[in-house]
Parts: sequence; C-alpha cells; structure tokens
Amino acid sequence: MTVPDLAPDAIPDMARPAEPLAPKVIKWAVTFGILIPFIWAVAGLEVSPSRMWAAPGQVWVLISGMFPPDFTEMGRLMTKLLESIYVAWIGTLIGAMFSFPAGFMAAANISPRWLVAPTRAILSAIRAFPELILAIIFIVPFGLGPFTGAMAIGLHSIGTLGKLTSEVIEGVDDGPLEAIGASGGTTMLRMRFGVVPQAMPNIVAYWLYRFEINVRASAVLGLVGAGGIGAEIVARLRFRGDWPKAGAALILTIVAVLVIDAASAAIRRRIITGQPSQSPISKWMTAITGSHRDPRLTADPS
Amino acid sequence: MSRIQFTGTTVTYPGGLTALKDVDLVIEEGEFVVIVGLSGAGKSTLLRSINGLVPVTGSVTVDGREVVGASNREIREIRSDVGMIFQTFNLVNRARVINNVLMGRLSMVPRWRSMFGLWPAHDKEIAMQSLERVGIVEKAYVRASDLSGGQQQRVGIARALAQEPKVILADEPVASLDPVTSHVVMRDLQRINRDLGITTIINLHFLDLARQYGQRLIGLKDGLLVFDGNIKDVDDDVFRGIYGRAITPDDLVEGRR
Amino acid sequence: MTTFAEPQAQVRPPEPRTGRTVLLPFIAFAAALYVIGYAGEAGPVWGLLIGLSTFGLFWWIKVTRSFVDGIVLVVASTISYSMFNVVVASREIGVTSGLAFRAALPIAIIGIAAGWVTQRNSGGTRVSTIVISASAWAGGAYVALLTAVAVGVLDRVRPGQTTTQLLTFGLFIAVGVASGILGATTNVSFWLGKATPLAVGGGALVTILAWNEIGFSAYEIWVKLLNIGDFLGEFWPPQFTWPKSLGQPSSFNMGKALIETFQIAIVGATVGCFVAAPLSFMASRPTAPNAAVYWISKSFLNLVRTIPDLFWAVFFATAVGFGKPFAGALAMIMFSLAIMAKLLSETVDAIDLGPLEAARAAGATHGQVIARAAFPQVLPNFIAYGLYVFELNIRASVVIGFVGAGGIGRLLDERRQFFRWDEVMAIVLVIFAVVLVIEAVSIYARRRIA
Ligand SMILES: Nc1ncnc2c1ncn2[C@@H]1O[C@H](COP(=O)(O)OP(=O)(O)OP(=O)(O)O)[C@@H](O)[C@H]1O
Ligand SMILES: [Mg+2]
Repeated sequence: MTVPDLAPDAIPDMARPAEPLAPKVIKWAVTFGILIPFIWAVAGLEVSPSRMWAAPGQVWVLISGMFPPDFTEMGRLMTKLLESIYVAWIGTLIGAMFSFPAGFMAAANISPRWLVAPTRAILSAIRAFPELILAIIFIVPFGLGPFTGAMAIGLHSIGTLGKLTSEVIEGVDDGPLEAIGASGGTTMLRMRFGVVPQAMPNIVAYWLYRFEINVRASAVLGLVGAGGIGAEIVARLRFRGDWPKAGAALILTIVAVLVIDAASAAIRRRIITGQPSQSPISKWMTAITGSHRDPRLTADPS
Repeated sequence: MSRIQFTGTTVTYPGGLTALKDVDLVIEEGEFVVIVGLSGAGKSTLLRSINGLVPVTGSVTVDGREVVGASNREIREIRSDVGMIFQTFNLVNRARVINNVLMGRLSMVPRWRSMFGLWPAHDKEIAMQSLERVGIVEKAYVRASDLSGGQQQRVGIARALAQEPKVILADEPVASLDPVTSHVVMRDLQRINRDLGITTIINLHFLDLARQYGQRLIGLKDGLLVFDGNIKDVDDDVFRGIYGRAITPDDLVEGRR
Repeated sequence: MTTFAEPQAQVRPPEPRTGRTVLLPFIAFAAALYVIGYAGEAGPVWGLLIGLSTFGLFWWIKVTRSFVDGIVLVVASTISYSMFNVVVASREIGVTSGLAFRAALPIAIIGIAAGWVTQRNSGGTRVSTIVISASAWAGGAYVALLTAVAVGVLDRVRPGQTTTQLLTFGLFIAVGVASGILGATTNVSFWLGKATPLAVGGGALVTILAWNEIGFSAYEIWVKLLNIGDFLGEFWPPQFTWPKSLGQPSSFNMGKALIETFQIAIVGATVGCFVAAPLSFMASRPTAPNAAVYWISKSFLNLVRTIPDLFWAVFFATAVGFGKPFAGALAMIMFSLAIMAKLLSETVDAIDLGPLEAARAAGATHGQVIARAAFPQVLPNFIAYGLYVFELNIRASVVIGFVGAGGIGRLLDERRQFFRWDEVMAIVLVIFAVVLVIEAVSIYARRRIA
C-alpha cells in the first residue's frame, strides 16, 4: 500500500500572512457608526442617569396601579375589542382583495415591464404611510368611526400584501408556466393554472399573517377616534383612579392578540405544510377530527 | 502525568439507552490509541466520557482528576487539557481561520477579553504556531468556509493544539475526507503524538488506517470493551470478534477508491 | 403468438369530495335560509324551516339520504327554535349579553341532532363530534346575538312587544344564518375530514358580522370619491410653516421635531437590539443555559411582542411623564426588542451546533460558547435586522408622538386638533419623504451585507 507523502514530517518554513486591514477598519467604523449617533441621540433626548434610574420605579407605580384589574365594564370592553377585531378583519379583506391583482401586476415574471415599475412604485408609496396617518386623512371625508379605521388598515395592507404577493409569484417554479404556454395557453390561463395553484398557499398564509398585524394596528387606531379598544386604554390611563380599568382592557387585548396569533399561526402552518401542527392542542384536535375520517369518503388517491 | 483511567464507567443517555457498559481501561501518557467498532458500538460515547460531554457514571479520571460529579469549573479545567477533533470539523464557517483556532484558547484568556475578541498577543502567537504545526498558517485570515475539507480538518487540529492539551480526542477525524487527504490528516496526528508526546485517542471506521497508524487498539461492541491489545496482535479473527462478521472492502479506506 | 391476459376490470374511483364540490350547495343553503327567514312568522315555524333546509343541504351533498335523519333534524330544530323564542320573549328591557347566551343555548339542540347525523353517516363513533357540532351551532347564534347587542339593535326593544312584532325577521335571519353557516360547515368538515368548509364558513360569518358592525358601504366610498375635490381643498396646498406651536418656543419647528424623531429611533433601535441579542440566545433551545431561562425569556418576549407600539408609548408616557421624548425612546426600545428578538431567535434556532460543541469541549464557559461560537454565525443577520429595525423605528416613532411621547408625531397630533389639514398635509409629506429615503438606504445597506 503506497501512501502519497503529502504531509512532510518536517514543518516547512511558511511565511505568516499579514493581518488584513479591511476587516479591522470595518469593525471600528461600525463601532463608531453606532456609538456616535447613539451618544448624540441620548444627549438630545436629555436621558440623564437620574431619569434612567427613576424610570423603573415609575413604571412599577403604573403597573401596580393597574392591579388588580377592574373587570366591571367587561361587556363594554368586549364590544370594543370585537370592534377592533372586525376592523382588522375587514381591513385585511380589503387588502387581500386589491393586493391580489396588484401582486400579479407587480410580478416581473408575469407582467410587462411598463406595468411592473409603476405598480411597485405605487405599492411602496402606500406602504410609506403608517395606518395612523392614513386614518387621520380618512377622518376628513369619512368621519370618526370604525369605517375609517377599516379603510386605513385596508389601504396600508394593500401596500404590504401587494409586495409580498408579488414576491411569492416571482418565486414560483416556471416549469408549469412554460408547459401551459407551450400548449397554447393564454396569459390568463397561465396565471390561473400555472401561478395560482403554486402561490396560493403562501399568499393565503400572508393574508392571515397580515390579519395578526392588523389586529394590533386596529387596537391602536382608537386613539384618533377610528374605533376599537385603543381609545379605552388611553382614556383610562389619564386618571389614576381608572388605572385598574386600563389594566383590564390591556389584559383583554393581550389575551385576544395571543389567541388570534396562536390560531392564525397554526392555520398558516397547516396551509403551508399541508400538515396539522404538532402542538398539544392541535394534536388533541386531530385526535378528535381524525377519528371521523372514513377512508372510503376522503379524497385519498392512494 | 496524563493518565486516563476508566473504572466501571457507564454512560446512559437521557432516553434510557446505555451506550457504554461498565468499562475498565487505563490509557498511559503518550499512547496512540485507536478505537474501532461498528456504528453505534459506543466509540463516540467513550471519547466524550473523557471530557464529560455525555452523562457518565462510575469513574473516569484524567491526570487523577475525576470527571464524574465534577463541578462546572472542574470540568472546564479538565476540558482545557483535552483537545477534541470532530468528524464534521465543527468550525464556525463564517469566521476566519485564526478566530476558529483561537477558540482553543477560550479557557485560558480572561472572559471579558474573549467576549469582545480582544485576544492577548501571547494567545495569538500560540494559535499561529498551532497553524504552523499543521502547515496551513498562510490561510490564517481566510474564512473557514473557503477551505477544502482536508484544510478545514487541519484547522480543527490546530484548534485542539492551541489548547496546549495533554490529551487529544479525535472522533472519526477522517470519515468525511477522501483517502489521500485521510492519510495526510492521520500523519499529522501521528506526528503530533510523536513530537509533542500528547496522548492521542482516535475513533476510526477504517481498519487499514487503524493498522497502519495505531499502536494500541481497543475494540467496542454494543457498549462493551471486547478487545484491548497491541495492534500487531490483531488478526482477522479479532476483527470478526469486534464486528461480528468478516472484513469487507467497505471497512478499508483503500476499498473505497 | 402470445396472448395477452384478459384486461382486469378497472373500477373508476368515485369523484373525491373536496371542499370545493360542497361549496356551491352551501351558497344555495345560505340563500335558502335567508329567503325562508321572510316566510317564517314565529319560532317554531322558523325552526321547522331551518331543519328542512339543513336536511336539504345534507341530502344534496350526500351526507345522508335517510328520512329518519330528516325527521330528527326537523323535530330538533322546531323544539330548539321554540325555546329560543321563549327566551327572547322573556326579556324585560333590551337584550343583554347574558340573555343572548341563554337564548343561544337551545340552538345547541340542532347542533346535537346534526352532529349525530354526521357522525352516524361517516362511520365515526366519537361523542366529541356531537359536542363540537352543538357548540358550533350555538356559538354561531351567540355571536350573531352578541353583534346585535353590540350594534345596539336590541337595546331599543320595548318590553311589551312580542318577538314576532319586532324582531322576527332581522333577528331570526341573523341568528339562523349565522348558526346555520357555522354549524353546518362544522358538520360537513367532520364528514369530509377536511377543514376547508369550516374555514370558508367561519370566514364568511366573521365577514358578515364585521360588515354589519362597521357599517361598511362601498356606496359611501363612491359618493365620497365623487366629491373628492371638496376635501382635497382642505389638504391642498400643504402649509409647511406656521407661527407658533402650542406649548413650545416658536423655534420648535418641523426640523427640530424631525431630529427628535430620529433621536428616539436611534436610541430605541440601538438599546433594543443590544438587549435583544442576549435574550434571543436565551430564548432559543440550543443556546439557552437551562430550561427555566428558556421558558422565562421566551414567555417574556412573547408578551412584549403582543403589545402594539402605541400602547408602549402610552404606557411609558403615563409612567415617566407626558410630552417627554424620553417616554418615546423607552417605547421604541420595547418595540425594537420585540422585533429583533423574534427575528434573531429564529435565526439562532437554525445555527450549526458543531462549533458550540467544539467550544464546550475546549473548556469554554457558557457565555464564551455563545459569544465565540454562536454569535459569529448570526452576526451578518444581526446587522441586517438591526437596519431593518431602525427603519421600522422611524415609521413607528412618527406615530408614537400621538400619545405624548415626543417627535414629529406630536406636531401632527397638535395640528390635527386645530383642524389645520393643510399643515397636517405638509407634515405627512415630510414623513413620507423621510420614510422612503430611510427605506431605500436600509435596503441598499442590507443588500451590501448579504
Ligand atoms: N445524545 C444521545 N442521546 C441518546 N442516545 C445517543 C446519543 N448519542 C448516541 N446515542 C446512542 O448511543 C449509542 C452509541 O452511540 P455512539 O455515537 O457512541 O456510537 P459510535 O460507535 O460512535 O457510532 P458511529 O460509528 O456511528 O459514530 C447509539 O445507539 C446511539 O444511538
Ligand atoms: Mg460516532
């Protein structure tokens, strides 16, 4: 057995390389690039040590003031919370409806360039306006109320969902598209049978995800009078005696958001993977629903 | 005196599987030991019991220091004397070679310095010397992911050397390398053992490599020590005892060519 | 010559029942419920019709074709709606949420019957179908009633009036359609073993309820669009300067407010990201020092993530004082912390664990393992996320001024309260420009890093 002698027993004199400069320079540049603006900002905001020191105590006063929470106005709070959720739902629906075609128009692999560029510009312009600012503008024509909130959330969602939708569409496998084109399919057919089946699960998942975000956003819009639970919390925080009520509203909001997030995340996972999620709750759910699945009735091709 | 002594050493994993059963074994300073056995026989487990990376009962001592029941601090001290080399190299791919090698110095430098990557010059020098010993110092400032497999494994060896260890544990160091590179790495390890007198324990899959480089051979089967002796005394019967079957070309690094 | 074997008789499989094949009958079912609503005069009649149309739906999509099932459904619905009627009629003043609950309970009887029918026809034996079906039917009714309460329709009901006089159509239609959609989709989902019908039905129900609640009207939008000139005049031309802001020296102009916004965003992003980094390692399984730390930090981050940015602002403004940018900075810290920790801990979950083991084997402490073996693996992501967080902070810190947490948002709120829409427009345009520029810079920088 011959062994190639690639590792000579004597160590050759090998020149040590000089340490390259660039990484060092970048390291320091980044350090100062963060440090200097930070110092400037801290100085500008008058963040003195004494204030930093006092802050935890002040926060504690507020938190302890909110406990025990006062749930006497539960019915009213539930109504407001429902209103927030409804606003988010309608807003998401508007966003989904309009962003769907917009996503196709902004997808470079589907649409002509003259359409892609302006659609993208419009979408990113829409995204640049936070919901709150849109709500302020919409109050002028539509007045105070949940309707305005739904419009603001809907419009902003068109911007964000449009971008995500177009990214999903651009990511589809173009094999099927070519196949449809090769068999004489029109653009419309290519979208319907080539793009939609591939992209739909991800797009729907993004709708759900946007709904989660919109629930938070709509909770906030109450501040400018666009309906929902946000106004309750802000108003209750004004007077110290009301803090327990603010605590109740806050807890209610947090619980609702957590529940909606968990449900939506489970559904999204199921849509994307086609599999039920593996959390204990969903296992329990499958244990219940799965037991009723009669193999003779379900659409299992095998 | 870096003597490693196993007395009634048993390893039971959290799942309840006992991967090493009541092993008694002494490895003297400066020995070059090769461990063979089927996949799942407990080779990795035996190595990892030496530096306490697995839940071990019974007794394992390194230099007279007990691994079983050692405090966090004691176990770190033992580990700092025991370098380890991995089948999959275990380098931080995004980091530069020198920074990977310096990871071997972690137990020797003050914690705050290591946190911010402010390595003392002394430690940098040791890292450089380790790289020189495996012959790839010119790659010191290259990203680890830009090296070939053989070069990456030599960085792994340099990282172990940077610990200035008394013992080196190598867990199938050549299993993801081609035959030619395998020999290069094995020779590196052999030379380090010879020149520096570092006790070296290597898990190997390939019997010809074991024969060619080993002095002492330890055979494991189902977590039991089934052979311990000089490599020269090893014949096909012994291998059959360890493997439960005759040798096939798959068991030889040359057989893969 | 070889002879081929007689081809085996091939059996064509029946067309599989998917969510889509049952959707059409569902629409017809809902329409039928709606139409029937006008025919029904009182509870029992309505119940009879609901039972019939449910059976019709089940017949159509072949859940059952047995008349026994039909009779069970019709009888159960009739009983159930009679009870519903009694409860609603028993109210004293308006309908309260407590009454809504009591009224919805009898609807569970239909659910039990429908659940029994589905599980009988799908070969299942679990009692849970019946329980879930019952809660879905009753739940639909309850939500519909609750919405009616929320909208205030039922508050105006006077005690003396009979149900038929006042509530018949609106209430019965709402309750019937809502519980029918939710309940029947649940039953059919069980029967199919697929969630699609329930998802579509539940979605439709929420949409109907939300639509009612919000009073959404495309017509109104259309009318407003026709008169767009009217309110555009309020906003245009934008007014970039104005004499003196309330409670501020006259030098407090837009530039100054913008700088404050930037400062808030910088402090928020920097502190937030650097606090988030260790937390992310603690909240990721492979790098957590132990299970307790893992669960505590994970729960903490989940909690922080739940609370919207503006709530943080209100919260801190209340705690440390209104109108102080310091409150805004604290709010932005929490906001950045939540986002960064989420992004980073997901990245940490996917790191290569080999180097961590190598560091541990070299005698490193847990902190050293994280700092030297784990952190370098996620450093490029950390920087990219940091830029992204800063970009989000600029957007968000515009908004938090609304609750007295400083920055340009405060200016916006103030001008809005004076109804100076032209000045509002000017601020909005400035914010718009800043957001676009920051976004462009951030995207460019992130691309360079990746
Ligand atoms: N972390 C662990 N948890 C539970 N069981 C483990 C763990 N690591 C190893 N085992 C089990 O212990 C037994 C011995 O494993 P070990 O890794 O020591 O074998 P090996 O001889 O090194 O095998 P190979 O040649 O495949 O590396 C195997 O059955 C393995 O499945
Ligand atoms: Mg192994």
